Amino acid sequence: MPDHTVVVVGGGVAGIRAALAARAQGADVALVSKVHPLRSHSCTSQGGLNAALAPDDSWETHAQDTVAGGDFLGDQDAVETLAREAPDAVLELDRWGAPFNRDERGRLALRRLAGANRARACYADDLTGHVVLQVLHEQLLAARVPAYVEWVVTSLLMDDGACRGVVALELATGTLHAITARAVVLATGGFGRVYEPTGASLGLTGDGLALAYRAGAVLMDMEMVQYHPTALTGTGALLTEALLGEGALLVTGGGERVMAEAAPRLGERAPRDLLSRSIASRLKAGEAVLLDARPIGGARLGRSFGVTRHLVKAVAGLDLAKEPVPVEPVPHRTMGGVRVDLHGATGLPGLFAAGGCAATGVHGANRLGGNSLLEALVFGRRAGEAAARAAAAAPTGQGASSRLADEERALEALTARGGGPDAAAAIRQALTRTMREQVGLFREAAGLAEATRTIVGLQERHRGLGVTASGRRWNSALVSHLELGHLLEVARVVAAAALARQESRGVHARRDFPERDDTGWLRHTLASFTPDGPKLDAQPVVITRWPPGRRAY
Amino acid sequence: MELIFKVYRHDPTAGTKPALESYPVSLPDGATVLDGLLQIRDRHDGGLAFRAACGRGFCGECTLRINRSGKLACITRVAQVAKDGEVTVEPVRNITVLKDLVYDVDELLWQKIAWVEPWLRPATAQPDGGYVIPDAELEPIRKAMSCYYCGLCDEGCSVIPFDRRFSGPAALTKAFRVVFDPRDGAARERLKRLGEPRGMWDCVHCYEANEHCPRGIDPTDRIFDLRDKAVELGVKSGTANPQVARHYDSFAASVRQSGWLDEGRLALETWGLGRLGELLPMAWRALRRGKLPVPYLHRKRPGAEWIRRIFDKVEKRS
Repeated sequence: MPDHTVVVVGGGVAGIRAALAARAQGADVALVSKVHPLRSHSCTSQGGLNAALAPDDSWETHAQDTVAGGDFLGDQDAVETLAREAPDAVLELDRWGAPFNRDERGRLALRRLAGANRARACYADDLTGHVVLQVLHEQLLAARVPAYVEWVVTSLLMDDGACRGVVALELATGTLHAITARAVVLATGGFGRVYEPTGASLGLTGDGLALAYRAGAVLMDMEMVQYHPTALTGTGALLTEALLGEGALLVTGGGERVMAEAAPRLGERAPRDLLSRSIASRLKAGEAVLLDARPIGGARLGRSFGVTRHLVKAVAGLDLAKEPVPVEPVPHRTMGGVRVDLHGATGLPGLFAAGGCAATGVHGANRLGGNSLLEALVFGRRAGEAAARAAAAAPTGQGASSRLADEERALEALTARGGGPDAAAAIRQALTRTMREQVGLFREAAGLAEATRTIVGLQERHRGLGVTASGRRWNSALVSHLELGHLLEVARVVAAAALARQESRGVHARRDFPERDDTGWLRHTLASFTPDGPKLDAQPVVITRWPPGRRAY
Repeated sequence: MELIFKVYRHDPTAGTKPALESYPVSLPDGATVLDGLLQIRDRHDGGLAFRAACGRGFCGECTLRINRSGKLACITRVAQVAKDGEVTVEPVRNITVLKDLVYDVDELLWQKIAWVEPWLRPATAQPDGGYVIPDAELEPIRKAMSCYYCGLCDEGCSVIPFDRRFSGPAALTKAFRVVFDPRDGAARERLKRLGEPRGMWDCVHCYEANEHCPRGIDPTDRIFDLRDKAVELGVKSGTANPQVARHYDSFAASVRQSGWLDEGRLALETWGLGRLGELLPMAWRALRRGKLPVPYLHRKRPGAEWIRRIFDKVEKRS
């Protein structure tokens, strides 16, 4: 039975950064990931990393933009931490060899992303996340951190309310293992796969959230689901918002500027929630919306957006440099997650979380581009350090063997039960359709209540379902079954939280409550697991120096 | 669009033989091969094993052979590859299959990438505000780092089928990324390691890697860059692999002397007199076919003097 001091679940930017931090503290840390770390969703992030590095910029301005971008639902102590520690996080990557673009003086070049009042994002062409992930993985190799790659975590090893390891399925052999530890950091990413189509990787199935939630951790702000405004229509292929930042325009089929009214000052550089709703309204009215990248110029497009251009050509046969391309918003980034403090602690002893699966409160009701990778770095490091410290003082967990045996029996029961070949797919498709239609960009009470009933019914069907494919090695049916369980668990909370929040704020747009309501709803939505469904609660927003005001773009 | 997907199925632990199974698939126009594979899982067999992650051309996870040519399933449109309504999907070549379309990437790529020790070893301390570097020096690094380990260069490599231990173009591209990073200070040690057997000198410059790379990184040229750097820094691969070193020295000496490659001399000097015995059977066969080059008795080719002067010039410069 493998034993480590700290186990990190997930090999994306947050997970690797946490593992490196725990290692630097001297902890015997191991990484567990269901995909190879370099295949993590972090690699799809294109735009950049926000950090107040320019002489005319300051961490306060960065924080202020973040707070306003999040429609004042962000916890300002967390936002301050993010903005203050951003420059060090970026410079650390520079020290580790990230080949960020340079300006004409050879210093880190900065580009402007949505919702920012300055050019603040350092970047590597249109592959920032990919490059950051590469560099972190290099450091992971250098630190010789053992990695259990293509191991799927099936449950947390809880001992008297504390997390002391994980149970994981090794895909290559089909063997179930208990990996014991004194602390666990969840860094499994978001849950974008509750929607289809989506820009989320296939593996973003809310695993960490569902595992922590079932173990007693609290989920926060689950109703906040951000749409990416500019996916290539019908493909789910995202066109980075850096295109808009560098001069691309959003126009209707009739040549009208889409953002002229909603954001007269920032225009195409307005935050994502505004962009998505403006585009969606036009589409709903039967107009086409096109992204016209020609103003950027062919040379610069080729140099800085080569991969994007190549992908558009591959999947749609269109050339960004020569013609406008049709776009639509698709579900993208989930702001909700396991509630954590500034050190990634979930409140359950031994359990920490960071990155897409965690809710630090920095993004509030709408995340700004350039803050995601940054959050993963800053709070990944903090969670890794805190986990190492907590582990040093923690006792060894008890009862791992018997828990392993329980899990083994549960999996055997699943594979013995069998089931119709398309039953699992039908459940997943019904879920994603419900989420798209009733828990989407625009919401209202009746639809949300119906969505909840539908999801509860789907959960019931899923519980009775078995796994058709036999054999344990590389059994994708078994993995999909577990992931679908996570998706349903998490989706139920999203629908419940969206129904509860009777206002419109950031990405959460209620047709029946179109205004922001600071008196009633300037607070976070919390959800705790009960056998009868999520128990909702609220928590005040931390406000330090930026009182809620009007967002004007 | 109604199609038949013919998919490679095999569980090596089950004692059965590999087979192509046919599945009817119904897809919208513009659908990708990955869409087809996911539909097979949904409708026919949830246990069909394949890897896929981002689903949109960023992560390099879903490399497969699609109608006999290596491609990423997630950005390959079915309409563009289907032949007579059929799409054949198989694992890439020259690699151990673990199950169905899942193959041993650890052997193909990950172990080799670890072998080149691809982490930066900075030459100098970082100045406040970050390293100041002209962007032109970082552009090639970004290009090399745009590699997403799809493995297509290694799949097309001419050497790997004969020697699976060869580090291959993907790992050597990763090595390029650190050797040429202006912040790195360990080029000499790195090149020494890369000069060992399975390293950069084992490439036979067939240019297949350049042909196969979907990101236009030209891995073959990156391998040349590494070799040039080794020559420039005077890093000899002699200690680790004397045979390779002798091969290159003999090659150069022959061309310098006569303007021709003296193949007999090359064989003798590469293998060394101690292993002459191993060469004799081949020499005998070559002699019978009138193909035995007589070592050291080469006439100079016309213009040999100019060739010698090129050598002198290059040596003076380095």
